Amino acid sequence: MKNTRVALLSMAAATALTLSACGGGGSDELVEDPAAEGEGGDAAAASGESGGAQDGEYDIALVSKGFQHQFWQAVQSGAEEKAEELGVSITFDGPASETEVDAQLQMLRSAIERQPDAIGYAALDPEACIPLLEQAQEAEIPVVEFDAGCNTDIEKTIAKTDSLAAGALAAEHMAELIDNEGKVAVVAHSQINSTGVERRDGFVNKIEEDYPDIEVVDIQYGDGDHLKSADIAKAMISANPDLKGLYGTNEGSAIGVVNAVNELGMQPGELTIVGFDSGQAQIDAIKSGVMAGLITQDPQGIGRATVDSAVKAIEGEELPEEIDTGSYWVDQSNIDDEDIQAMLYE
Amino acid sequence: MTDTTTTDAAATSTAPTAAGPGWRQSLGQRLQQALAFGTLIALVAFFSVASPNFFTISNLSSILLATAVIGILAVGTTFVIITGGIDLSIGTGMTLCSVVTGLLLTNMGMPLVVGVLGGIAFGALLGFVNGFNVTVLGLPPFIATLAMMMMAQGLALVLSGVRPIYLSGVPGFQQIALGQLVPRIPNAVLILFGLALLLGIILTKTVLGRMTYAIGSNAEATRLSGINTRRWLLGVYALAGACTGLAGVVMASRLSSAQPQLGMGYELQAIAAVIIGGTSLMGGRGSILGTLIGALIMSVLINGLRIMAVQSEWQTVVTGIVVLVAVFADNLRKRRAEGGGPV
Amino acid sequence: MTRLLEIRDVSKGFPGVQALQGVTLELSRGEVLALVGENGAGKSTLMKILSGIYTRDSGTITVDGQEVEIAGPREAQQLGISIIHQEMNLLPHLTVGQNIFIGREPRLGPFVQERALRRRTQALLDELGIGLSATAMVGDLTVAQQQMVEIAKALSFESTKILIMDEPTSAISLSETKVLFRLIRSLRERGVGIVYISHRMEELRQIADRVSVLRDGQYIGTRDISDVTDAEIIAMMVGRELSQRHDDRPRPRRAAEDVVLSVRGLSTRTLLREVSFDLHRGEILGFAGLMGAGRTETARAVIGADPMTDGTVTVHGKQVRITGPDVAVRHGIGYLPEDRKRHGLMLEQDVVFNLTMSALRSFRGPAGFLRGRKASEVTDSYIESLRIKTPSGRARVKNLSGGNQQKVVIAKWLARDCDVLIFDEPTRGIDVGAKEEIYRLLADLAEQGKAIIVISSELPEVLRLSHRIVVMSQGRVTGVLDNEGLDQEAVMELATKNIDEGAAA
Repeated sequence: MKNTRVALLSMAAATALTLSACGGGGSDELVEDPAAEGEGGDAAAASGESGGAQDGEYDIALVSKGFQHQFWQAVQSGAEEKAEELGVSITFDGPASETEVDAQLQMLRSAIERQPDAIGYAALDPEACIPLLEQAQEAEIPVVEFDAGCNTDIEKTIAKTDSLAAGALAAEHMAELIDNEGKVAVVAHSQINSTGVERRDGFVNKIEEDYPDIEVVDIQYGDGDHLKSADIAKAMISANPDLKGLYGTNEGSAIGVVNAVNELGMQPGELTIVGFDSGQAQIDAIKSGVMAGLITQDPQGIGRATVDSAVKAIEGEELPEEIDTGSYWVDQSNIDDEDIQAMLYE
Repeated sequence: MTDTTTTDAAATSTAPTAAGPGWRQSLGQRLQQALAFGTLIALVAFFSVASPNFFTISNLSSILLATAVIGILAVGTTFVIITGGIDLSIGTGMTLCSVVTGLLLTNMGMPLVVGVLGGIAFGALLGFVNGFNVTVLGLPPFIATLAMMMMAQGLALVLSGVRPIYLSGVPGFQQIALGQLVPRIPNAVLILFGLALLLGIILTKTVLGRMTYAIGSNAEATRLSGINTRRWLLGVYALAGACTGLAGVVMASRLSSAQPQLGMGYELQAIAAVIIGGTSLMGGRGSILGTLIGALIMSVLINGLRIMAVQSEWQTVVTGIVVLVAVFADNLRKRRAEGGGPV
Repeated sequence: MTRLLEIRDVSKGFPGVQALQGVTLELSRGEVLALVGENGAGKSTLMKILSGIYTRDSGTITVDGQEVEIAGPREAQQLGISIIHQEMNLLPHLTVGQNIFIGREPRLGPFVQERALRRRTQALLDELGIGLSATAMVGDLTVAQQQMVEIAKALSFESTKILIMDEPTSAISLSETKVLFRLIRSLRERGVGIVYISHRMEELRQIADRVSVLRDGQYIGTRDISDVTDAEIIAMMVGRELSQRHDDRPRPRRAAEDVVLSVRGLSTRTLLREVSFDLHRGEILGFAGLMGAGRTETARAVIGADPMTDGTVTVHGKQVRITGPDVAVRHGIGYLPEDRKRHGLMLEQDVVFNLTMSALRSFRGPAGFLRGRKASEVTDSYIESLRIKTPSGRARVKNLSGGNQQKVVIAKWLARDCDVLIFDEPTRGIDVGAKEEIYRLLADLAEQGKAIIVISSELPEVLRLSHRIVVMSQGRVTGVLDNEGLDQEAVMELATKNIDEGAAA
């Protein structure tokens, strides 16, 4: 009984492979530029790339946490760039907002039913995705994750920013800017999803461990809503007249803090603001001096690493458990640098 | 019966400014407002004692500004709720209007006035479509506006190309919400109060307001009185839609950008404010002043809890409790007033 | 032997008003006691005390000689007291059986035993001689049949000894009333004591043994029905002698022959077929017929509240197309609906609000502003001229008595100055004293040149008011009679005429 099923499944997989190989034949001319210049040098491996290009097009389904946010658009562009480079075809899908766990699972389900060669997945909910990943495993579709993982061992690897480290990086710069003492507060975007939690914890833990004279007086959650985050930040500033720094854990949160400071008519630099992610408004705020600096990830790097490791997974290569695509401090001094500019999506 | 006599006495003695009969409020409504106002004062008093940083000019100004967007949505949708309807599309509709304003001002390079009026007019159009679906197609308001909520959300994403439209480059735009014609009071607050005053007058002193109450009290009786209820309902939805548009402009101005992914959930906050303010979901009863107080109660509560560094999740729980208590208190009062038995 | 139910010196006050003051009632087994009184006399309060909704302030209630406290509806039920309210409490989407045994369904674990339920229901219905099926949907039944279901439900409690009925005939036809009375008599034989609340004198004569009268919350007295005249009962109710000029019919109309409203060949999708009539200036045209004959439907089709499929309406000699009540009003036709509370009034709003509703246009100032002072002046003038009893124009309409509510509706249309006024059941739920006033008002209006249609289920009322009478049956006009020397029998004959024989072709 079980044997027949496995047989059937592998037949189906084989058929899918053939079909995708056939379908890919015509568009080979698109893949004219297999040159592998090092981007960040993190995970690019020349062997993987050439393998992908020779086998015709692999079909890789990427299910993201969203597609509206600029961050995800940057991930997508990185993934597309890498896909073109390796000569594979990808699809990129995501729910309208990051609260739509169900919608995202539905997308993952459709992706599995499509029988791609590999799936790249960013989990909105680390538990709800488990059964589906098991399903993918049964269908022998290799899974790589990006940005946020699912609580299983099925995935071959995960390409993401180490958010704890990123949070700690934010804490280090915050501490330096406020001379290692005083009150700070955090406007976070989620107390549930892992990036929100880790960016918060990385920051808070670092402060507690290394900076005894800094006190984190309050942590509130604005769901990444600019308006709500602004109102939260204003209340925090009112509640703590001696507040020295505010840390916003994503773009909406950080812009909320910036708006709050503007609305209160505070002078640039009166309060040290550390932001996260990128976006035009944050870049403007750094240039005008309202925001001291921000932690950026490398979303394009995430996209590239995801596609790259997906191809490696298809070809059975060993992959590290986790690929850290890195996080970087951006302030007025380096914002115009070329390598930083590459990571600042608008 | 007994309370009517007292109503009358109270009406003449305490509200000499109120115009002639029919447009004064009943005692019940007055009581509810007094109750809501008392709650507001009690909350302010409580937080002032609890934290020295609550009752400061800067924080009070923050509270007022935080009330503006939800407040504008709420006073507009009060009309719809008094007719016995509901409008779920105001949150995402607001976002769509802010996107429309954003596009007019950036992509099309229209003058400021056109962008602002365009956003408001587009809101009125959305409201009109809601009204059309409710009156002409006969859809229940819940369904018609639920559909509109989704369409508006989608359209906001489509029109904006799924990215924020930055408006910091539009001269004067941010002044709409954040300028201070009156020192320390952001214009958004003046807009809210000005709008509330205007809508309060429309609701209590004009034919449109009268029809709003009439339809909510008894739509069939209104129709049989020889009134074209469809036309007036269309007007009500369009008016509420225009307020949605205005809220969209104010929000975009405050954020210096149109954020197409926001908006969902704002409708429930606004509806909660309306209910706390004593407007009945069954229709026929409610006031703009009540809604304004309701919106202020919500933002004072949230701000106060934040000042006291209460965890976010508990803030939400407390808000829910306040909605429950408000509705329960209202019911209790109504039962008192009406359990008086026959005379 | 002890009385079944004794109420002694019961009082109940609400803030500012004494609703009941020392009321005393006695009810024996197998007796029908009529309880009468004007609206607001305290009947409802007394009923609510008996059903446990209100608690009395003082006095005693004994059931079977035992002094009892009635803390709530459930306790009332346990004491054997069941009440059939004017507004029915049935669920239209459930069957007769499901309604009767709701909450007490025969069960097997979590499952309802539908078959047992059906059997028990049918047995109950048969025992009571109610010709209904246990599986009929309540929503499909007529009002009278629903009333039967209510009664069956009340009696399905084994313990029911006392049945209180609040105006049970107010919404049902004559023939249905007969069935109801037959049922009441059989209950009486089984020893059930019945308190019967009604306004209709002739019914009391048919069904009641004794009559108790309340007035202004006070107990006035109890008489054997055979010992009193109607006039005496009415005098007890209103506290004075009413001028009883019963044959007070309008003189036949003189020959002012200008037709204000002319309807020809009016048909609707479901009921009306070829309805035609003329209405003259200064005339009261009565519409008689049984329930469902199509009188209300005719009125609603004429004013465009319901669509007509065929026929023409001519107003002042000009043919018009009336697509809705708003258009009807523009042509000077006003409709005063049968169900005042549901279709005629905004109960939560005040008198001014309601009274100015139809004529709002004339109270509109610049920019759509309402002219408050004018509205209150006009309202006050109608309060005075129609003698509407209300503390002021600011009083909420729901706090007025039925008669005064009706006057507000009338004033609403007078303020609009319509030529044609259609009154659907103008005196339903209105007490005797106020009825006379409404009658006089209608006559005055006709005198002033208004053209008036009166639809009524009470034949004496139609005969009392109308110059001419249109009789309808099964959606058709079966006769138009001059009201001269007409008696009820002649009208009834046309009203019960079976159309299928002659006019089907």
